[in-house]
Amino acid sequence: MPECENPLWPCAMTGAAACLAGFEGITVVIRGSSGCYYYPATLLPVPLHGTFILENEVIFGSEQRLHEVLDGLFGKDKKIAVVMTCVPAILGEDVRSMLKSYDVILVDSPGFSGDVETGYKKALSVLAPSVDPGREGINIDGACLFDPFSWGNVREIVRLLGCASVPVGTVFCSDRLESVGHAAAYTVGTNMDFTSGAGSMLGGTLGLEEISTTFRRIASVCPEADISPVEREIEREEERIVRACDKYLRRFDPPQAVIFSGFSYAAFAAKTLEHYLDADILYIGARNEPGTSPFPCGHVTGFSQVTSLIRQFNPDLILGSSFERSVDSRRAFIGLTPPLRGMVKLAPHSVAGITGTLSFVENVLNACMDRKK
Amino acid sequence: MISNPLPLNLSRYGGCTLTGALSVTTQVRDSVTIVHGPKGCTHHNFSLLHATGLDNDRATLPDLISTGLSECDIIFGGEGALGRTLDAAAKRNVSAVFVLSTCIADTIGDDVAAVCRKDRRVPVLPVPTGGFLGGTFQNGVNNALNAIADTIESCPKVWCVNIIGEKNLEYEVEENFIEVTRLLDALGIPVNLRFVRDCSMTDIHRLGAARLNILRDDDLRAVGERLRLRFGTPFISSFPAGLAGTIGFLESVADTFGVKYLQAVREEKVLQEEILTEFNDISGTAITFDPALADSESSRHACEVAGRIGIVIDRGGCRVPLEISPPVGTAGLRRMLHRWRRAIHARV
Repeated sequence: MPECENPLWPCAMTGAAACLAGFEGITVVIRGSSGCYYYPATLLPVPLHGTFILENEVIFGSEQRLHEVLDGLFGKDKKIAVVMTCVPAILGEDVRSMLKSYDVILVDSPGFSGDVETGYKKALSVLAPSVDPGREGINIDGACLFDPFSWGNVREIVRLLGCASVPVGTVFCSDRLESVGHAAAYTVGTNMDFTSGAGSMLGGTLGLEEISTTFRRIASVCPEADISPVEREIEREEERIVRACDKYLRRFDPPQAVIFSGFSYAAFAAKTLEHYLDADILYIGARNEPGTSPFPCGHVTGFSQVTSLIRQFNPDLILGSSFERSVDSRRAFIGLTPPLRGMVKLAPHSVAGITGTLSFVENVLNACMDRKK
Repeated sequence: MISNPLPLNLSRYGGCTLTGALSVTTQVRDSVTIVHGPKGCTHHNFSLLHATGLDNDRATLPDLISTGLSECDIIFGGEGALGRTLDAAAKRNVSAVFVLSTCIADTIGDDVAAVCRKDRRVPVLPVPTGGFLGGTFQNGVNNALNAIADTIESCPKVWCVNIIGEKNLEYEVEENFIEVTRLLDALGIPVNLRFVRDCSMTDIHRLGAARLNILRDDDLRAVGERLRLRFGTPFISSFPAGLAGTIGFLESVADTFGVKYLQAVREEKVLQEEILTEFNDISGTAITFDPALADSESSRHACEVAGRIGIVIDRGGCRVPLEISPPVGTAGLRRMLHRWRRAIHARV
């Protein structure tokens, strides 16, 4: 069925803007109407620009308007990236020819071409990341501005790499533009739904076990790395997690959870809940195409699916976005997925890294205990 | 060249017609709205409406269905997708199905009105939208209000007013309504219908009953005229704004109903004086506003208040917040003055 009730995931145009706007040194121009501009402009915590085209420009051509906007932005020491929206993409205008006198990046990722991940990957492919054999360090992958945890994730992985005396390579996509073509040879992931493909992937950083495995691999490829501080921290913090979870289980039954998120975060949440709290993972509703999972799992794109799954499984813990929270405020809820509307978030929170796991378990325990009171 | 939006240049930066129309249709409780376009357009608006709902302490989510136009539909036409979606929506227990198109549907030339004409045993109301091809956000609001009003029959007049075209995405929408009802209460006049905010199609059938329509602002004048022609209801073209404007509002409403207003006006003036006195501590301070709003209605009302307190308007003064829409009534001015004082304190 092509129709979708209350779609839950943004379009490719938003993904492309999220990728490009993460780079210092790029000015993003949304080539479309004000309606298309306002959504990414409210969602992404960076300035965006738009051409704000009008009906007469659709009929008589939008070249002049595009030039007008680009001329106003040139000379500000930033590369301009033009992101196409649906209507300009089907007008049949020769955009490349319009832009031939400008040094700009053009990303053709109209909304109808797919979801946020599609646009993110498309924009990255246009930037063409490449490895610089002389670059030291480890790249950090998966920092997509659309993910409200991306900034916290980057800070946490930078901290852990620092603990292990490993320099940071390129951060995809939250770095200087020049770094895109000078990536290090190896990469670690944060949110694996937004991978860059640059450098050899050593592994993710979601969950203590995965962090441990990934840092052992880092040690094997970076002879100067000393991962013992990270290993000691994992051991120490895991002990605290186990104690807190064990104490919870002395009084309460394990949570019965349904999880709605991008597959990467959802898989982390499910594994962590089962591992430390013996939780029953009733269902994972992945916003994107799910990978293989030991838990019941499906691709959930619309709000009516979310509502019926929550009714069907009757969980006492829901992980997801503020959409899921609105279904039933009586159940314990953890915000893991954008959008997280109706709450103020100022400090950087992470899902990745040791701090990410600590925050996650802490939030779950507090939410579950609050609901039992 | 402007590539970041200036709020006053509405033709280019005035937002999406679709969003404007959705801000109205999603307030009809027992309805569903179909958005004929790619999924992304619906998600963007769903997320925006969800956010503004939470800002107004409402957990209820709008009921939207996207026809999910794909690349294939864009090449071969999307009328089939719209027809299938409409058939499915009509089977639900709803009192109306609104159909809104998007700029992409208009560009490929889908005949939305023709698809909507088929009898589906539930009122199907196509609203002329089309993203930026349909005009601005305000056009979307007006078109949706008109489309709904056109389905309503006349009814006998009652001693009451309608509130027309509240800005449902506005952060302080409820506070503004409360202020208007406070002023109406002072004259002993009740509200019949908020057209359209959190009401059912059954409620909306009372649209013609009011003796006066109070428009949210002057941009709704075309809607006010249409309602006047259809139901014979006169209108006041905006919510009260400014000190003198609020007094004028009381007098205008009272005149329409033929009620005495001297006591209500006297009490309101006393309240205004009390509020101005509260802010004596910032008298003599120099302030300035966002230059983009220099000639706006907001600025005029703000200058009136500043003059009464003895605040100096000076380009080098402390930049204080000012919204595009002027604060509503006396209570709105009080909240504005608190924000000014906060800004002045922050600067000191």
